[in-house]
Amino acid sequence: MRMKKLNLLLSIFLLMSGAVKAQDYSIKVSGQPIQMKIGESLQLEAVVVDADGNTVPDREFIFYSRKDREVTVERNTGLVTALKHGEHVITVISPSADGSRLRESIPISIAPTAISSVEIGGIPTNVYAGVTVPLDIKVMDEAGFERPEVGVELTSSNVAVAQPAPFYKLLTKTKGKTTVTAKVDDVMTQVELTVVENPIVRIDLTADMTEGRSGDVFTLTAIARDKNGNEVTDAPIVYSFTGESYDVSSAPSGLITQDGKFVADEPGLYVLNAVAGAAGASVTVSANHRNIAREIELTGRGSVNDKHTSDLWIWEGKDGRDYAVTGTWGADGKAYFWDVTNPASMVKIDSVQVDARTVNDVKISEDGTICVISREGASNRKNGLVIIDTSNPRDVKIISEFSDNLTGGVHNVFIYQDHVYALSAGRKYYSINIEDPTQPRIVGEFELNTPGHSIHDVWIHDGIAYSSNWEDGVQLVDVGNGIAGGSPSNPVQFASYAYPSGSNHAAFPYKDEKTGKFYVILGDEEFPYGLDPTGKKPSRAAGFLHVIDFTDLKNPKEVAWFKVPFAGSHNFWIEDDILYAAFYNAGLRVVDLSGELLGDLNRQGREIAWIVPEDPEGFVPNAPFTWGAQPHKGHIFYSDWNSGLWSAKLKPVMPEPTKVEAK
Amino acid sequence: MRIGIFFFSLAVQGQSYYVYVAAESEDEVALIMFDGEQAVVEETIAVGTWPAEIEGPHGINVSPDGKYWYLTLAHGNPYGTLYKYSTETNEVVGSVKLGLFPASLQISPSSGLLYCVNFDLHGEMKPSTVSVVDPEEMIEIDRILTGVMPHGSRISPDGKYHYSVTMMSGELFEINTTTLSVARTLQLEGVEIDKGSNDLASMDGGEYRSSMSYAMSPNSYEMYHSPTKPTWVIPHPMGDKVYVAGNGADEILEIDLEAWAITGRMPTGKAPYNVDISPDGQYMVATYKGGQETGVWNLKKGKEMARVKNTRQIPHGVSISSDSKYAFVSVEGIGGEPGTVDVIALKTAMLVASVDVGKQAGGIIFWKMEE
Repeated sequence: MRMKKLNLLLSIFLLMSGAVKAQDYSIKVSGQPIQMKIGESLQLEAVVVDADGNTVPDREFIFYSRKDREVTVERNTGLVTALKHGEHVITVISPSADGSRLRESIPISIAPTAISSVEIGGIPTNVYAGVTVPLDIKVMDEAGFERPEVGVELTSSNVAVAQPAPFYKLLTKTKGKTTVTAKVDDVMTQVELTVVENPIVRIDLTADMTEGRSGDVFTLTAIARDKNGNEVTDAPIVYSFTGESYDVSSAPSGLITQDGKFVADEPGLYVLNAVAGAAGASVTVSANHRNIAREIELTGRGSVNDKHTSDLWIWEGKDGRDYAVTGTWGADGKAYFWDVTNPASMVKIDSVQVDARTVNDVKISEDGTICVISREGASNRKNGLVIIDTSNPRDVKIISEFSDNLTGGVHNVFIYQDHVYALSAGRKYYSINIEDPTQPRIVGEFELNTPGHSIHDVWIHDGIAYSSNWEDGVQLVDVGNGIAGGSPSNPVQFASYAYPSGSNHAAFPYKDEKTGKFYVILGDEEFPYGLDPTGKKPSRAAGFLHVIDFTDLKNPKEVAWFKVPFAGSHNFWIEDDILYAAFYNAGLRVVDLSGELLGDLNRQGREIAWIVPEDPEGFVPNAPFTWGAQPHKGHIFYSDWNSGLWSAKLKPVMPEPTKVEAK
Repeated sequence: MRIGIFFFSLAVQGQSYYVYVAAESEDEVALIMFDGEQAVVEETIAVGTWPAEIEGPHGINVSPDGKYWYLTLAHGNPYGTLYKYSTETNEVVGSVKLGLFPASLQISPSSGLLYCVNFDLHGEMKPSTVSVVDPEEMIEIDRILTGVMPHGSRISPDGKYHYSVTMMSGELFEINTTTLSVARTLQLEGVEIDKGSNDLASMDGGEYRSSMSYAMSPNSYEMYHSPTKPTWVIPHPMGDKVYVAGNGADEILEIDLEAWAITGRMPTGKAPYNVDISPDGQYMVATYKGGQETGVWNLKKGKEMARVKNTRQIPHGVSISSDSKYAFVSVEGIGGEPGTVDVIALKTAMLVASVDVGKQAGGIIFWKMEE
């Protein structure tokens, strides 16, 4: 007992002595407050002092900058270099093994340099009276930084000719000359502007159709003409619309682009306007109900409710029957094989179990004889992939395992013409020759070199690999198509598109034969709502599908999107102008992609059907979380994370019933 | 330090021991309480943010003051993340992106900075780094280039040096925790490796890389596969030696820090993986990943006292209580099996309790004792 007391006192003494030291010592950095100019270097003089202000000898220091691209500091000497204006903080730490470690934050103010230039851009060659000219104002400082936060004073020497307006717009009123001045402090730039009389007296406006449906794109042709009837080719035409919904409970809505394309979200009568100064013209079009909704009926299911299910693949076997393979997630490394010839009675016919916790992806070769599955969570940490003989889906056999450079886990794979394309490290994909599936060998790889690049998926179609690279968007890579001279051993990137959210998770190409448009649909994956801490409640995703017009490969353009409120996209498939998309907590969505695509596809009534796989006996009960979808021989198969394999069928399009008016 | 150990060594019965353990294929961390007889899961904390991705909690440690625990999630897009949790609430209070597959980590009691190896086990034989993080601000302030697949790492008792071993290049690195630079390197097979032109700057830049660069001849650093395959390093509490698990050689290497040389080789069971040494310096405990066993050593005598059969396959991590009485061993299991925490009494070298946790239990750290 006495010993316990003694130790307790000793411990208290030790704790107190450490506390006293920490309180008595402090870091002093001379020269504060520190103000610097860009390009300057400054030696921080740091010392540790005791309560009496005496320097404590032999103390070392660690310095770091919270924004080392704007202010750098040498790690142990404290030499600071100012790179960019702003308010910054340098942290200095003085290590100590005896409990008197100290740290201090040193504010450093770096003054902006003077404004060096103001530029006015965006002025067309001919400035016509009566139009709004958007100006492109750019402010630079002497250090070479663009300074968008600096306010610019915009004036016109003759406001009767042209008058500045908010948001850097210039309203031209009548012909004449004026000087437009953009000024910041003492720096200004001037543009001599000659506003000419607007030659446009009329606009001939036509639409390619006067009656269509919501979601159909009306293409306008607007020709501005002068008083002699000649076309004014540089007319600053502005398009707009007004409308009236056919449904009194809905507001008219749609989208009109400044290249003259209009699409209605809401069925209604729309007036499409083209204006250039005082001249204008309108056409009226009717956007009728798209009326493509169809009933969808659940056909059958292959329940997996003792573990999570991941991806699926459906194929016709060599015996003419139809088969499916599904992966499992966070479980025991199994993949299941199903006979789905009768979608109303899908039967599990075989399985494989590999050393993994997750079989995230499953793919089948074009001839249906080879399956490749990905592995994550292998006990020996050599994850890689497994190649399986599926010549007889009722008796599948593992041919080989392959983990060279794939040990960290393979998330997604694809098979195309005797090659497996497998993701590695979330950074790249390898092309692996499997002509001899017992001896897979890496023959090529593709990896971006952008800072922090990553990859989630790769899909091959017609010799082109479409990889989804999160912030770097989709990358189109020739792996045998010939468009860029590529091959599996020499993949050649030839096009790409990225969008600001950085959520690109999947991609699927789609060519519309009628319009000749070539689109690539890009899917997000986002989980902004995080996890249910108990793991028992349904998860909720976010994100949507982006439609990118790749008709001009060098100038891809995002033209449309498909969103489901309060849900998020995952894997999807396109066949015969129909999109089959898994939307996690919103189940399976079936979408009409026919015709040109523009705007918000869901609001346009392009959704044909939806079905949500709810299962009270699911791995997480009543928690639909649809992973992937694939059409096959008129049926739709889809896998759900919490309940397994499902099948559904769209009911035939029925003629509209004859309206019978009640007396 | 030594007086503190003495104090704890006289702790009376009725102590409760608390341990955090990460389940890498479950995206969970379990808080285990062991009362001297039974081990129970006090709380399970779901970690990560992506319900449909395994993010892989791997390395775990507790701050020197016990107020926070730190966890690496190995997988990301592509980089892994370090999370900071409050031990009071087990809720996230901060996070920062690190490198590829961040793994073991520890805070230096001297600098107060956190040092975390970026394991990068994805397969390519490229050198990786040790990230240095200010855990107060959760800012990564530096990355220090080391060898290929840095895995096990621990900090010297005085906090001045960080030790890590690289599985593929077979090297022991000593990093000065103040200068944030490699002080010494010891290649454990005595091999001189041509490290080529690998550097941090070559890792990003340009537009894309395809097979043309794949066909380039790798240097010998990229080709070397260490037969020792070191997976863990633990400094002795006295600070004069470190012990390295030679996973590929079935031995633990004793390295004298003054001589900076291997001064002993201790044959072990199959594939020693993680090692811990009791604060009193008496015991060394090593998981034998290939043998479903954990070795308990009398370190003063340099003899293995016993090999304790683990509850299931693939023992992984080990952490010893501050009173030097118990070793807590995480056991991964295989496939759909749960993970397990085995509790071994060091004096008797006996398994005294077990409790199941999520799949692939890996990173484990002793937190505290309470009466």
